[in-house]
Amino acid sequence: MNRKFVEVEGQRLSLSNLEKKLYPSCSFTKAHVLDYYRRIADRLIPHLRDRAVTLKRYPDGVEEEFFFEKHCPPHPEWVQTAEIVLKGQKRMTACLINDQATLLWVVNLAALELHVPLAGAASPETPDAMVFDLDPGEPAELLACAQVALILRELLSRLGLKAFVKGSGRKGLHVYVPLNSAGATFVDTKGFSRTVALMLQKNYPELVTERMAKEERRGKVFINWAQNDAQKTMICAYSLRGGEKPTVSFPMGWEELEQLARERKPEGFWVSPETALERVGKDGDLFHEVLAMKQRLPHM
Amino acid sequence: MAPQGIWSGTISFSLVAIPVQLVRAVAPGRISFRMLHNTDFSPLVRRMFCPRQGVQVPPEEIVRGFEIAPDRFLPITDEELESLSPERSRTIEISQFIDMAEVDPLYYDHPYYLVPLKGGEKSYRLLAEAMRQTNRAGLARLVLAEREHLVAIRSTEGALSLVTLHYNEELLPAQAIAPGAAKGSAEMKARIKRSIKRMIAEFEPEKYEDSRRTKLLDILKRKAQEQAPVEPPPIAAEEGEGPPDLVAALETIMTDLRKGR
Repeated sequence: MNRKFVEVEGQRLSLSNLEKKLYPSCSFTKAHVLDYYRRIADRLIPHLRDRAVTLKRYPDGVEEEFFFEKHCPPHPEWVQTAEIVLKGQKRMTACLINDQATLLWVVNLAALELHVPLAGAASPETPDAMVFDLDPGEPAELLACAQVALILRELLSRLGLKAFVKGSGRKGLHVYVPLNSAGATFVDTKGFSRTVALMLQKNYPELVTERMAKEERRGKVFINWAQNDAQKTMICAYSLRGGEKPTVSFPMGWEELEQLARERKPEGFWVSPETALERVGKDGDLFHEVLAMKQRLPHM
Repeated sequence: MAPQGIWSGTISFSLVAIPVQLVRAVAPGRISFRMLHNTDFSPLVRRMFCPRQGVQVPPEEIVRGFEIAPDRFLPITDEELESLSPERSRTIEISQFIDMAEVDPLYYDHPYYLVPLKGGEKSYRLLAEAMRQTNRAGLARLVLAEREHLVAIRSTEGALSLVTLHYNEELLPAQAIAPGAAKGSAEMKARIKRSIKRMIAEFEPEKYEDSRRTKLLDILKRKAQEQAPVEPPPIAAEEGEGPPDLVAALETIMTDLRKGR
């Protein structure tokens, strides 16, 4: 096994199998993956900070088996962890990715995808944001998702709520409503998002469903409000996805989304690691307000 | 249909490491039924019930206890149980090669196959071949679902199969069951031996079938042709649409949106 030792922020890391093609169809190697995460680290880490991260590991690349890891795997002593106890669940120890060294350590374990809960590890029952996870059921596609996201944005804005959107890196879109206020609970965010989803389903029955059952999702956009739960996680902004080609779950501006929807350009939603780095260099983090903006859910 | 893997890792001994996946060697043959409510055919779920308080108990109020006598328990926590779990391990380390004939079949627990993963095909084939020729089985430990098992790996028609073995203390001793030595019955014994000899045959597993299963499948097939399946009513109207104020506000917004205001 080929290994390379590097020093990151004073920690000595042993990186292995750097030439291994984790995305074989386009020869994107583990070295490329590590390089992407190193260069995106400053934008990514604020979204991971102090959250019980779930690793989705692809030890033999995206064409082979993967597994989710919620418990922090055996780790060097400098890796920070948190003890999480959720209602009715077993206590568990999760990794906290608060610095570049830890980020590269988990990526070296072939954790291509990093998933985070909507709440911080210190208060795992208090969501910092409410999410609408839009998932198109075949043959509906991204453009239908974009249409729903735009309706959702308008509706939320009339309720006095600002929302932000990112591509899932696959076929969906994620609309986030920042809360960042101690009063919110998952019961509130789940109830609120479900009510909104029901209302959209009622008014756009051809376009939207809020039902989980696969057969009800055909040709419609499924609004997965149930993601607003202490036990669920979302793909983190700027994380890679383990699809055939490397794509990034990437935040975008609403104007950009409108334009892509207008010009019917679904390919514009798939952001490659290279484009992601270029765009954060130019536009900064379009999702930084999701971490800071304080909002309250009205009419609850 | 390819069997679903339940574990993947590597078999290793001395310098060989073979990536493999563990699959069940026995497909679930039991036909199982769902319990339905006979008034509307809704599928039923199980709930924990406290008969003394007469209430349903939510998961966060459930703990475990070991019963030492009626109504006397030693409580045990999840942490205590977790501390017993072996370290998760992704290797099956063969420590010895044994003669399978020495293992009483009473020790056999669950049978599995090992399927070679990408890059492991060649060493897999060589190991299976070598084990067949030497007629030896590998003895190893495997951590599966938080428990460490003793396992034997054998060569079965070019494939590697794995059987989990019972631990010695799990097996009840046969001495307790065997009656004392019988006296003066040499003639009887000889007669039994002759009978056995007459009935000697090859084991042909394909000759035997689970007749209950076959009959049950026949019944189900006939029913599927003769009658429409029963269906529960759709899940009752949602438990309200949400907070009334929010619903009212959303309805106003929707009306405005659709009128393009």
